[in-house]
Order: sequence, then structure tokens, then C-alpha cells
Amino acid sequence: MQEPTITILGLGNILMTDEGVGVHTVNEFDKRYEVPDYVEIIDGGAAGLDLLPFIEGREKVLMVDAVNFDQEPGYIDTLENEAIPVKLATKASMHHLGLMDVLSIVKLSGNYPKEICIIGIQPKSLELGLDMTREIWDKKESLIERIAEKLNEWKIPCALRSPQK
Amino acid sequence: MRSVENALQLDIPLNAQFIRNLIMAAHGVHDHIVHFYHLAALDWVDIVSALKADPKKASQLGESLSNWDQNSAKHMKEVQDRLKTFVSSGQLGIYANGYWGHKAMKLPPEVNLLASAHYLQALHFQRRINMVVSILGSKTPNIQNLAVGGVANPINPDNQSALNMERLYYIKTLIDEVQGFVRNAMLVDVAAVAALYAEWTGYGKGVTNYLSAPDMPMDTKGTAFALPGGYIENGDLGTFKPIKSFNDEYFKNGVKESIKHSWYKGDWNKHPWEESTDPNHTGMQYDGKYSWVKAPTFNGKPAQVGPLANVLCMYAAGHAGTKKYVTEMLNTISAVAKTKVGPAALHSTIGRIGARAVRCAVLLDECTNQWNALIANIGKGDVKTFNAPNFPSGEIRGVGFHEAPRGILSHWAVIDSGKIKNYQCVVPSTWNAAPRNASDAPGPYEASLVGTPLADPEKPLEVLRTVHSFDPCLACAIHMVDAKGGEIVKVKAL
Repeated sequence: MQEPTITILGLGNILMTDEGVGVHTVNEFDKRYEVPDYVEIIDGGAAGLDLLPFIEGREKVLMVDAVNFDQEPGYIDTLENEAIPVKLATKASMHHLGLMDVLSIVKLSGNYPKEICIIGIQPKSLELGLDMTREIWDKKESLIERIAEKLNEWKIPCALRSPQK
Repeated sequence: MRSVENALQLDIPLNAQFIRNLIMAAHGVHDHIVHFYHLAALDWVDIVSALKADPKKASQLGESLSNWDQNSAKHMKEVQDRLKTFVSSGQLGIYANGYWGHKAMKLPPEVNLLASAHYLQALHFQRRINMVVSILGSKTPNIQNLAVGGVANPINPDNQSALNMERLYYIKTLIDEVQGFVRNAMLVDVAAVAALYAEWTGYGKGVTNYLSAPDMPMDTKGTAFALPGGYIENGDLGTFKPIKSFNDEYFKNGVKESIKHSWYKGDWNKHPWEESTDPNHTGMQYDGKYSWVKAPTFNGKPAQVGPLANVLCMYAAGHAGTKKYVTEMLNTISAVAKTKVGPAALHSTIGRIGARAVRCAVLLDECTNQWNALIANIGKGDVKTFNAPNFPSGEIRGVGFHEAPRGILSHWAVIDSGKIKNYQCVVPSTWNAAPRNASDAPGPYEASLVGTPLADPEKPLEVLRTVHSFDPCLACAIHMVDAKGGEIVKVKAL
């Protein structure tokens, strides 16, 4: 098998309703779409530093996550490259090592991907619970489409899987 | 799991004990490396100042302190160049979110550069030691191989799909790889930070009753442990009383939790088996209920838990490895600070950080010991990893404890005919972050912050230093990206 050069990363905590939207979206995308061997689809959960091997040295990384845009719940936008606020933030706890810290650590170690894109959605609820809210669940299709569009833009083939028998 | 095994008085096969021990030790090493370099170090190390360092001098300094082979001038220059690119890319805004350039940052530029280089090297080594956890536990940190009665790792030295010789020797390689870094970089960096911030041996003492669990059971019943634990009162090592087994009555009877100041229904002070957890948020009442954390006590008193408690207990119990690394560290601190620093300095913010590094080295040695024990036991032809549990009818009770990276963890189970009737966890951060208890005595965080000087009350770096030194277990649930990269952590002085 070819070494992966592209990562599609679903992020978030599926125990906190809409916080898990990234993970749910990416898993659903994986079910529906066929991608080449060099594309690795990962359920990144809330893994922190353990995400490093899937980001460091990759050519392109596409992430899906709940993002605070200060907008209405369900608002979708993408953050790309320089627009991603990479910084080492002050933390209260080690468990607090979030995506921004991981990205800045990758940057510091000199293996930053050539392109990074975050497809983000404003969550409605971050309460404890396995189910996403209706509003955010309904936006899943748009998020999946955004992933396919982005891969298209990156000239990475992706096609709907043939229906299961 | 140990609480259920304790309730059933179940014997655990030796292989299962050693495999669990290996996972616990490797996990601890990983946790301590990441805590120091990637969380706590940035409270003390100023990356921006490292830009002003002379790479040659930084390299010489590193080489004078240890024989670590990744301190060359060339490497220091490379790291400095990377830092320059990082700091100069305008979007970073690190001044806004970090505390760099803060008045309380005192390390010389060369030390900052050396520590920054090791910060980056640590990324590699934390990953290597964490692989031990993932190989044995299937994933990390939420391992999948534990079962009441043993572990779900079939051992077959020649089978591709079992824990075999290839995997076991790969684990050994990983353990050995990390040794050099912990001994020659981490222990030395921590000692240097401690020496150059020597005034911090006088801050952050807090509660000096120390509680820690013995761990790494070496028999099937949990009566012999490779690493001792127990209780020390009032910072006096002479008062050390060991916890001797998984059935130890002294520990079992000593633990209680109060909710006088916590957001739960009622006001009681109960033994964990008798407790309930009924949340009842009533808002911030500084003299009443003001925390989600319950207040645990040991024989009626608050206790500090964590690597410092563990190291002091192991030291008091005469554990050879602990004594060696504590002595080494105090010698390095004394040499760099050019004044004699003794064990009393450990009761402090910097002492907690120092003890964590000592524990890291002790645990790494323990990885090797546990690996040797596992290999020797398999060599005898024993491949058993599991004893099936049988649940009796009627009520049984059990307690399980473990010395986790943040301190003593205990789970208390009441089981009625095979069903959970009550289950309470008294976790390390609960001990340390406890609000005032039934007799209004403050917990370790609260007590440790009294008397901490602040150079800039708007940026209370000093408060973070002390709170971080406990390695708090908070906020593990939500990691949300803020599109503007705003400040997420707020520290409020009241």
C-alpha cells in the first residue's frame, strides 16, 4: 500500500452532542465515498498530540470540526492555511492540548503540510449526549458535499461507492 | 476493574499483572514527558528569548550538564532558525496568548534555547513510549485490553496474531530508546529550571499531608508491589505509614468525601461506598457551595496526591531508584544554583515539577523491570492471562486503587448479585482541586496559592505555574476551535 500523503481528519468529542460533528461527518463520508489509497481518513476524536503522525509531513490535511464563528448554529465556513489561527495558547490542563496547539507544534517542528483546510460548523449544543441536535444533523449533507468539493479542487479523485448488494 | 476484582477477591495471573504494569509505567512516562515539556515548560521557558541565544554557548552549556548527544551547536542553530520563522510569521499572535516576554520569565537565552530544542525532541520520544501503550492496549489513552480477571492479550511466542516475541522485543527497543532522553535531557532540564527559579522552592507548598498508592503488583493477590506507597503527615517523612495490599484496612477505612462546599444535594461527609452523586447547582456561594469537586479526606484531613506525594512516599520507604534520582536531581540543582539544595525544597511548586521528572525516570526503569519479569514468566511456560470472574448472589464491596500520573486513583464498587449498586471514583484531581472540606480546611490547590507573588495581576503567570505543577485533569471534553483564536482560559483572582 502507498504511504498516505493526504489526511481527512474528523475531530471532536462524540459524547458532547454537536462537538462530535466532525467525527460523524467523516465517518459518513468514508462509508459513501471511495478515495485513493494515498488518502487516509481518520476519526481523530479529541486526541491531541496523538494526531501528530497524521498531520506532520502530509501534503494536504482536510479537517472537519465544530468551530466557533460567532454565528448562528449550523453556519458553515472553511478556514484555510494562513486563516487558521495557529498559536500556542495558555492552557489550564494538559488535556486541553487542542488542535491549535497541535498545529503550532507541527509548525515548530518544521513539517507543516503544504495545505490545511478546516471545514467548520457553528455547533448548537455542547451538552453531554450521544446525539447531535436536529439543526446540526441536518447540515451533515452539506458538510459531506464540502469535503467532496474540496477533494475535487485538490484534484483528488473521489466517487460515490457503488450501492451495496 | 480492580475494585470489582477486589470485591470478588480474584487472583490475577502474573502475566496479566506484568502487562498491566508495563502499560501503567509506559503511560506514566509518556504523561510526565508531555506534561513537563508541552504544558508546564512554557510557564518557565521563554521561546522568544531563545532567539537571542548564542547557539554555540547553548550547546556548550548542554554538554557541560550531561552527555546527551543531541545538544550540538548545529542542532541548536537549526532549532533557533525554526523558532525565528515561527515567531516572525505575523499571524501567530503568540504574545497575546502565551506569557512570553513576561516579567516573571528569568532564564538566560541559552537555557531557553536548550529547553526549546528538547521541547521539540520530546515530541519524538513521547510518541515512542506511547507506542508501548498502544501495542499492548490496542489504543491510547483509552486502552481496550483490560478485563475483570486479567487482560485480553493472548500470549503465544510464535504466533503472528498474538503477543509474540517480535512484539515483545519491539517494546523493549522502544523502552530503551527513551532512556537517554529522560536521563540526560529531561532530568537535567528540570533541575536547571529548578535551580534558576530557586525562589519557587519557597512557593506553592500548600497541603503537606501526602497520600499515594503502592503500585506494580508482583504477585497474583496484590500483596507485594514494586513501587511502595502510603501516607505522610505534615511533610514529616518519619511519619510515613505504608499501604500494604489491595485489602489494606488503613486505606480502606481512611477515605471519606464531604459535599459541604460542593454542588450536590445535601451536606454530608461519607465513605465512598455510602455516597451518592446528585448534582444540584446553586450558583457561586463563596462561603457555601462553590465547586463541582467533592472534598476527599484521609482520616479527616485533606491530602496532596501526585508525583510529589508518590516520590516522597517511595523515598521514605527506601525505594532505591527513587533515592538515586532524587539525590542526582538535588545535586544538579545545587551545582547550577551554586548553593546546597536539600529535600526540604521538594515541598513547593518547583518540587512538584522536580518530583514528576524523578518519577518519570523511576517508571522508565520500572518498564524494563516489568518487561524482564514478563519475559521470565513466559520463559517458564506460563502463558495464562485471564481468570474468569464469577459473581455471587447477594451484596459484595470492593475498592481498587492505582497510582496514576496525577496521583492516587481509587474506585469503590458495591455489587448486588452481579449488578452495580453504587460506583464512586475518587480521582487524583479531586484530592488536589478539592474545595474546603467538612471542617472548612482548604484543599491543596487552594492552600498552595496563598502567598504567591504576582508580577502582573492582569497576567497571573505565577498562579498558572502552581496550578500547572499539579498537572490538573480538567477540560478534557471540549477542544473547540475559536475562529479568531481568542483567549479560552480565564484565570480570575478573587
